[in-house]
Amino acid sequence: MSLAVALFAVVALATGASALGVVLSRNIVRAAVWLLFTLIGVALNYLLLGAEFVGAAQLIVYVGGTLVLVVFGVMLTAQGPLRSLAARPAEWAVGGVRAAALFGLLAALALGPHAPPAVTPPDGPLPGVGPLGLAFLGFPDASPAANVTGVPDGKVFPRTPVAYLLPFEVVSVHLLVVLIGAAYLARAKRRAKA
Amino acid sequence: MPEWFATTPGRLYVVATLLPLVGCALLLLFAGLARNLCRPLRASGGRAGSLYWLLGGDKPLATGAYLATALMGLAAVLAVVGLVMFLGDAQRGLKPDELAARWSERTDWIRVGNTDPATPAEWDKSDSARLVRDESTAAPPVPRGGRALELGYRIDHLTALMVAMVTVIGTLIFVFSLGYMRDETKETVEDHEVDHQTPGTHHFARRGRYGRFFAYLSLFAFSMLNLLVADNLFQVFVSWELVGVCSFFLIGFYYERPSASRAAAKAFIVNRVGDAGFLVGILVAWTSLGTLNIDELARRLRSPDRDTHGSLELAGQLVRVNPGQPDEKGNPTYELPAKGETGTHLALYPALWEDPTHFHGLGHARTNDREFTAPARQTYFDFGAMPYWLFVVMGIGIFLGCVGKSAQVPLHTWLPDAMEGPTPVSALIHAATMVAAGVYLVGRCYPLFAPEVLLGVAYTGAVTLFVAATIALVQTDIKRVLAYSTCSQLGYMMLALGVGGWAAGLLHLLTHAFFKALLFLGSGSVIHGCHHEQDLRKMGGLLTKMRVTGFTMLVGVLAIAGAPFFSGWYSKDQILSSALGYGLVHREHMTLFVLPLLTAAMTGFYMFRLWFLAFAGAPRDHHVHDHAHESPAVMTVPLVILALFSVGVAWGWPLWDADASALGHLLEAGQPAAVRVAFGPERLTAHDHHLVAGVLALLAAALGAGLAAAMYWRPKLDPAAVRARAGGAYTFLLNKWYFDEAYDAALVRPTVGLAFASAAADKRPTDGPAPPGAAEPPPRRYDLGTLDGLITTVGQLVGAAGRELRLVQTGRLRGYVLVLALTVAGLLGMLVGLSG
Amino acid sequence: MIELGLPPFLLLSAFLFACGVSCLAVKRNAIGVLMGVELILNAANLNFVAFARYNPAFRVEGQVFALLVVVLAAAEAAVALAIILNFYNNHATVDVDRADDLRG
Repeated sequence: MSLAVALFAVVALATGASALGVVLSRNIVRAAVWLLFTLIGVALNYLLLGAEFVGAAQLIVYVGGTLVLVVFGVMLTAQGPLRSLAARPAEWAVGGVRAAALFGLLAALALGPHAPPAVTPPDGPLPGVGPLGLAFLGFPDASPAANVTGVPDGKVFPRTPVAYLLPFEVVSVHLLVVLIGAAYLARAKRRAKA
Repeated sequence: MPEWFATTPGRLYVVATLLPLVGCALLLLFAGLARNLCRPLRASGGRAGSLYWLLGGDKPLATGAYLATALMGLAAVLAVVGLVMFLGDAQRGLKPDELAARWSERTDWIRVGNTDPATPAEWDKSDSARLVRDESTAAPPVPRGGRALELGYRIDHLTALMVAMVTVIGTLIFVFSLGYMRDETKETVEDHEVDHQTPGTHHFARRGRYGRFFAYLSLFAFSMLNLLVADNLFQVFVSWELVGVCSFFLIGFYYERPSASRAAAKAFIVNRVGDAGFLVGILVAWTSLGTLNIDELARRLRSPDRDTHGSLELAGQLVRVNPGQPDEKGNPTYELPAKGETGTHLALYPALWEDPTHFHGLGHARTNDREFTAPARQTYFDFGAMPYWLFVVMGIGIFLGCVGKSAQVPLHTWLPDAMEGPTPVSALIHAATMVAAGVYLVGRCYPLFAPEVLLGVAYTGAVTLFVAATIALVQTDIKRVLAYSTCSQLGYMMLALGVGGWAAGLLHLLTHAFFKALLFLGSGSVIHGCHHEQDLRKMGGLLTKMRVTGFTMLVGVLAIAGAPFFSGWYSKDQILSSALGYGLVHREHMTLFVLPLLTAAMTGFYMFRLWFLAFAGAPRDHHVHDHAHESPAVMTVPLVILALFSVGVAWGWPLWDADASALGHLLEAGQPAAVRVAFGPERLTAHDHHLVAGVLALLAAALGAGLAAAMYWRPKLDPAAVRARAGGAYTFLLNKWYFDEAYDAALVRPTVGLAFASAAADKRPTDGPAPPGAAEPPPRRYDLGTLDGLITTVGQLVGAAGRELRLVQTGRLRGYVLVLALTVAGLLGMLVGLSG
Repeated sequence: MIELGLPPFLLLSAFLFACGVSCLAVKRNAIGVLMGVELILNAANLNFVAFARYNPAFRVEGQVFALLVVVLAAAEAAVALAIILNFYNNHATVDVDRADDLRG
């Protein structure tokens, strides 16, 4: 049992436990705190996987931005009795069974005969900020050429050069629209039924 | 800028083409739009109000018309400069590539398929120096991979001459229109024709439409020029339709008159018939030959210009082959048929040679070249083959378009009706230029026509020229006489093209454009002078009142009748000698010479009849005569200029030799190789019997003219008596061979009947009377018996489905999540099932 | 790291996904539902990065998509919160069971 496995075991357990906490906690503020731990756990997982930049982005954007937004939302809306809106026990049961079934299905897929074949990852870390930025800016992939794996035997899907400038632009515009829309929706106005 | 034009002077033509569009779009359309937008503010003053008054105010805008005319004149100057430069280039003996580099360009509109310039492989191997050449000078257009709709221009002798002709005549007609359409500058125009034709209207008045007229005219000029300079069939087709729609607008210019709007619709619809054929031809070319560029089509269909030894002897041939056994790689092979047989397929050549100087020409009848292989998947750069019948279909299709546009029998019926438009329109569109587009296209696409198609062209032309001339004999409307004479002259051109007189037909196209424009403008001047009286029977003796118009028209009449030393003589003489040559070589087709000869006599008759009826003798209607007046200088000056052109445009040295026409020589220099290949013996025979044909034609024309003089000038023969003697034949001709009636019975009535029957089937089924307040009763539910019910049923079904499905939208989030989870599970299951 | 392999990450991701889905199912508070969505997105993201690590062909792609998802999640949260605030302003509650104005 190497250090990596041990680290993963600790981090994965913590992540899973805090995710369960999000589900189980009645108090919305507590759920937010559990979510915080989950997100940090996922970020640690990214770091374990060698994707330092994505991990950092996860920490900054998610933990630092999105979660703060969520907490603000909680504070702006949750007052006294509304803080915990409990579902009925029957709903708990149905939801739990369903979630367990889904987890079972996914786990079976991940471990079963249809699982992706084990591939030895190439040495060295994942492409860092530099190659990612180049990919976003439209430069063809700088990583070593390789064929797509995990496809049925005997078939080879040749890689074609990819560039993400257009998706990047689309996402930028999307973000802009979203921000304007959010500002519009949330702007202070008189209550309609006041 | 000068360098830009110096390296590729062909761009002069692009500019010349675009100038009228600028005139149309910018000056007339946008200015008019701006004025209309500012109209509500005219009283309030301010900036918008002053803009309104600046743009002409309430009165129709005349400035735009002047500017459009000026732009057209500029285009004419550019075209003439271009013509001179082009002829200079041609004289210098530039190689075809260099000429192409200077005088043609092309760019993609849409390109599909493999556009990688690295393919095909032959590309790299080829002599790149020849293809790419020095970067500093313009490179010749190089075909690329894939299939493309392109935008391009290509100037050759024919195009250069045609553009010059169209712009010069166009300018003169624009100037003439400035005077002729002067009425339209008034704020209100009373159109008495409308009162006349529509019962119940009195003193119908409308706004003047001066600017609109010039906008249409400019748009037309743009489309026509674009058609002329286009280097591919698609662009030709687009301009073709644009020209058609301009014609529609202008025929229906007085659209309040029912006759005008009917004539416009008729012209449009009849032309559609031909255009459908044109489209079929284009599609066949696209699918079978992979390109629409006219040069490339020709290169693909005809054997190449040079073989290993640079021999020109066998260039430009259509090579027919038979399919053979596929070779070991599965590629189809083709072999030349045995002597005396014809193959079922047509061999196709690469659009570009890997090495053009080392090619053993297929079809050059060498024993070791009797077979060739076509790749299973043909591209544009390979040898190939297409069924011969498909090639014939392509030619017929393209020619059908030309039949429609050039008003050949059986699609000629629209042209006489098109005379409802203003007279300058008739002159520009329906005599000089647009109807010539069909002839021009036949000339341009000459290498794409199979011999069978060319024979069809010749017979169509022969029938048209005869039929139209017989009808013209008895018409009494001055413009209709001219319209039928136009049909007839276009028939001459088609005939000439069909019998191998390529240069003769197109020479006639050019000369005819000048004298027909002259005749139409002259008739316009007469109509203008006689206060919109068009009936020849009410004219007479006008020469004393309208001297300029009368004498210039006499020049036109002499030219069209083929009097020696007038331009029409040269071209008609060449046409008749071509026809005679063809008839002598192919005795069974002697009709092709007899018909035009008869028609030459008829031409002389009806043209002199028109002139005598209008200008000579005593006035028949004193009211018309007393009020007749000569037109203003803005109308007579173009007449004089056109008369000068009509006399001398085809002159050459020696003057008395019809074959020596300088214009004809220019055209012959641009003659495609296919003409020489297909009509070698005919051309030689024509040359030998040139004098016979000329003398016969002259005699025929003199006979016709003399007969007209005897009947209408020095009354030796009473026209009424002749009419009585002719009897049924006269009625037959007066009714225009009953073409309209036949179409009416065969096509129009069944169509209308079908429409009524469909409407009956489509009657809206209802369950009951309309409820109070509703406009119509509710439709019956799920009624499948009628068309309307069927369509309503679709709507009703969708509505019912919506009513049921809205219950699914419960608004309960947990239910949604349940469905979501089930869907995810289902999709995963599908994934497993598919990959497993 | 080499002996760790892909399946453990996939299992963790599946667990996060299941948690997210049950969060969607059992929370009545709209913000709780939003948290469930965040969990689901994180599960997907974890998969992306894991594949980027263990499949040489996706070394760039996996991370690129993960980044796009992070950014889109931020946008989604902003809009969702704006909608929730608006809903709260109008109905004085964030109970998703009361958000049934568009019920069919």
